[in-house]
Amino acid sequence: MSIILNDLTARYGSNIVVNRVSLEINDGELFVLLGGSGSGKSTILRMIAGLTQPAGGRIEINGRDVTTLPPQQRGTGFVFQNYSVFRHMTVSDNVEFGLRIRRVAPAERHKRSTELLDLVGLGGLGERFPDQLSGGQQQRVALARALAYEPAVLLLDEPFSALDVKIRSQLRQSLKDIQRQLKVTTILVTHDQEEAFELADRIAVIERGYLVEANTPEALYHEPRTEFAATFVGGGNVLVGRVEQEQIKLGAVSLPLPPAAPPHEEDAPVRLLFRPETVYIGATPPAAGSDVRMLGEARVCEAMFSGSQQRLRLEMRGFEGVRSLSPPPPYGRRIFYIDAIQTSDRAAELTRPAPGDRVWVGLRHYHILEPSGLKLLIAYAETPGGKAAVAFGALAARAASGPATLLAVDDAERLSAARETLEELRRSWPGGPPPRLTTAVRPGAAAAEILAEAQEGDYELVILGREKEGLGPTARQILERTETPVLLVQEPRPQIARMLICTAVGEPGKTDVRFGGRVARRTRAAVTVFHVARPDSSPWERARVEQHMAAAQAVLDALGVTAETKIAAWQAEGVAAAIAAQAEAGDYDLIVIGAPARQHPARLRWTDFASQIVRQTSRPVLITPMVQ
Amino acid sequence: MNVTAKSKTTVLPPLLLILTLLPLLLMPLGAIFVFAGRAGLPGLIHTLSQPDAQFALRFSLLIAFGTAVVNGVLGTFAAYVLSKYRFRGRETLNVIVNLPVAIPTVVVGTSLLLLWGPIGLLGQFLDPLGIQPMFAPAGVLLAHLFVTFPYMLGAVKPVLDELETTYEEAAYTIGANRWQTFRYVILPALCGGLFSGLLLTFAHSLGEFGATVMVSGNLRLRTQTAPLYIFAQFEAGNIETANAVAAVLALTSFVIFMLLQRVTQQRNRRAS
Repeated sequence: MSIILNDLTARYGSNIVVNRVSLEINDGELFVLLGGSGSGKSTILRMIAGLTQPAGGRIEINGRDVTTLPPQQRGTGFVFQNYSVFRHMTVSDNVEFGLRIRRVAPAERHKRSTELLDLVGLGGLGERFPDQLSGGQQQRVALARALAYEPAVLLLDEPFSALDVKIRSQLRQSLKDIQRQLKVTTILVTHDQEEAFELADRIAVIERGYLVEANTPEALYHEPRTEFAATFVGGGNVLVGRVEQEQIKLGAVSLPLPPAAPPHEEDAPVRLLFRPETVYIGATPPAAGSDVRMLGEARVCEAMFSGSQQRLRLEMRGFEGVRSLSPPPPYGRRIFYIDAIQTSDRAAELTRPAPGDRVWVGLRHYHILEPSGLKLLIAYAETPGGKAAVAFGALAARAASGPATLLAVDDAERLSAARETLEELRRSWPGGPPPRLTTAVRPGAAAAEILAEAQEGDYELVILGREKEGLGPTARQILERTETPVLLVQEPRPQIARMLICTAVGEPGKTDVRFGGRVARRTRAAVTVFHVARPDSSPWERARVEQHMAAAQAVLDALGVTAETKIAAWQAEGVAAAIAAQAEAGDYDLIVIGAPARQHPARLRWTDFASQIVRQTSRPVLITPMVQ
Repeated sequence: MNVTAKSKTTVLPPLLLILTLLPLLLMPLGAIFVFAGRAGLPGLIHTLSQPDAQFALRFSLLIAFGTAVVNGVLGTFAAYVLSKYRFRGRETLNVIVNLPVAIPTVVVGTSLLLLWGPIGLLGQFLDPLGIQPMFAPAGVLLAHLFVTFPYMLGAVKPVLDELETTYEEAAYTIGANRWQTFRYVILPALCGGLFSGLLLTFAHSLGEFGATVMVSGNLRLRTQTAPLYIFAQFEAGNIETANAVAAVLALTSFVIFMLLQRVTQQRNRRAS
């Protein structure tokens, strides 16, 4: 192993930019870190070079722990996006700089720089100054300069992104040739998928500081494990169906579950990926006996001709109980989109589908992603609320069938006792300890530590106990700052059979319908979408509410959730009282409300509203903040 | 076609400008040389070879050189720290180091006297030890360092600000330590800014009057700089003598100015 990263973490202020990344990079490998802007990929590279100090974890280069070494002692070659070639030095002086620092004799230095300049395709330009070279040539100088002192690892930070397309592909080819020739271990950071696929021996997909998945380009494309990798790398269609007797149920369509697919429990959601180029499109249904699986009929809504291929976006009527993850379906309409690619064929030009045409859609090939479930964080405390949270959490965890963590926050000296309590809870879990239930303890203040754990662990739902009287300080602090949905429990419920989704018109209203719908789908709960209308609303506002409710109904219908809508008239006691009254009347097990995004100025005022609701009902309340 | 049409219409404004500037700028510049040359070249040489004049010119050049060297180092250091490090109070410090351009030089002189003078805040402790920085060459140097400090900073800091951090980081990853990085990577990049900063400092020091007159005591053959000498001679009615030295000062400044022009032009050409 040339480079080993172990639990590498970086913070910027209180934000985690790189979150416990572990990687092993082989000798002579060309490894690509692929991610969007702000994903933390460059920070990883800078930490390897020693230009950024990690907040935790270990970096090993060729068996040597370099975590605390200054950049000078790491022996890395770094190529920057902006070249950073020394302008006052000639090209050969630039290349020789590392050798001069290492006190190599001038004759040898010169020989080495001549060789390297020939290698990067700048032979004979050694006496020039960087100003006299093009951007592409300057980047070649930077490459030669980084290779001159035979670094243990070559690190390239978006090296081609400042160059135009044609130069970029030339330089890519040169890099690949040089890397193969010198067999130097190389890590390249890029946001460009095409670049990553063209160059990489292996690719690591980085997102929001997490290492999502690392694999060869082929495996990453054809057999990704995660939804993010599946949709980030290449275009992908992802539908969520259900497993039923070794079959994948997509509404009325039934597909065999491939034997190599990751294990799924009966009746669990299953995510199906198929690439645009494996979509069958025809004027007639696929012939019986062919290996194409029929999906149904669709309407072409966009067609784009790009020379070698034709890209199509198809619109299909939504299947009962099937959720479409990618391409994202439009909110409030029971349809989903499917992307398809056909290779251009001059002979078939006349029969090429055009927008508006109806076509038959089938799958030539599909892949099953690993089951995700809903990732839960259950915060335990020695209070009635804390215990209720664990009891209700157990119920939610069973429905979510995803990984869950039991967390206790306590003083440093009481941590081992807390750990024991959690282990005891785990052992006595109703129905036996589930395999994906883990425990964690953190020292410090409850609100801050719960928020930190939620961010670090990338949880999808935090379950938290609360006081009888209202929110209590911990829950309030968490509500003011959370980006993760929070479920507040005061008294547990025996089941999650009825959900009340309270929605306002507009964006936070859509968030709670979406997330509430996901929960309802997993718990099989019946949903009432509830809206309290203002007494002085104009006809136009009333029409908007009607429209919003119809859209919510469509979203829930598409998920296969039993749903009804209800618009209540404004009461003198206010919206919170109306919600509480409805919750009592319908004996709901869970109330869902949306919240403005964390950065939004209305968040604080909104927290007061949440506290009003909580004070008027003892039922569990799920709060779904909008994410910007 | 447009160009010729435009150049025809732009005859009047430049003419007006020249006419306005004539009494304001151009004629005063000429007057120095006219008066200096009244006694003819032999007279000029005679006037300049007087020991007082000789001393004043040499002293001024020496002080200007000393100021340029000290502020060259100090100003570069200040520019580097202010540009590359993030610390509390950085903005405040940035304002303070640039303040000397805004403060009247006479006030600077007064405050230096109040600090270093025999009864000043620090001077009262130094006086018993026999150290008297005021009314001595050291005092003149202190005043000039104060007054010209922002010029070096102003010339070097923008260059450093523009220099990407990756420039230094590249040197670090290559294996250069902090000193090597400064010596081989940053300093050469600063060259142009450094040179124009030095020239500016030198020129301003050469002409400094307000602060110098306060702290020097205007002692002939001891602390009298060329501008002080000119003023003294003028007051005494020796207009020719004053003008001879003034002409030398004007000439030196002119040469420095031309040099500055060339450096800036070169830098601009490089930047484009």
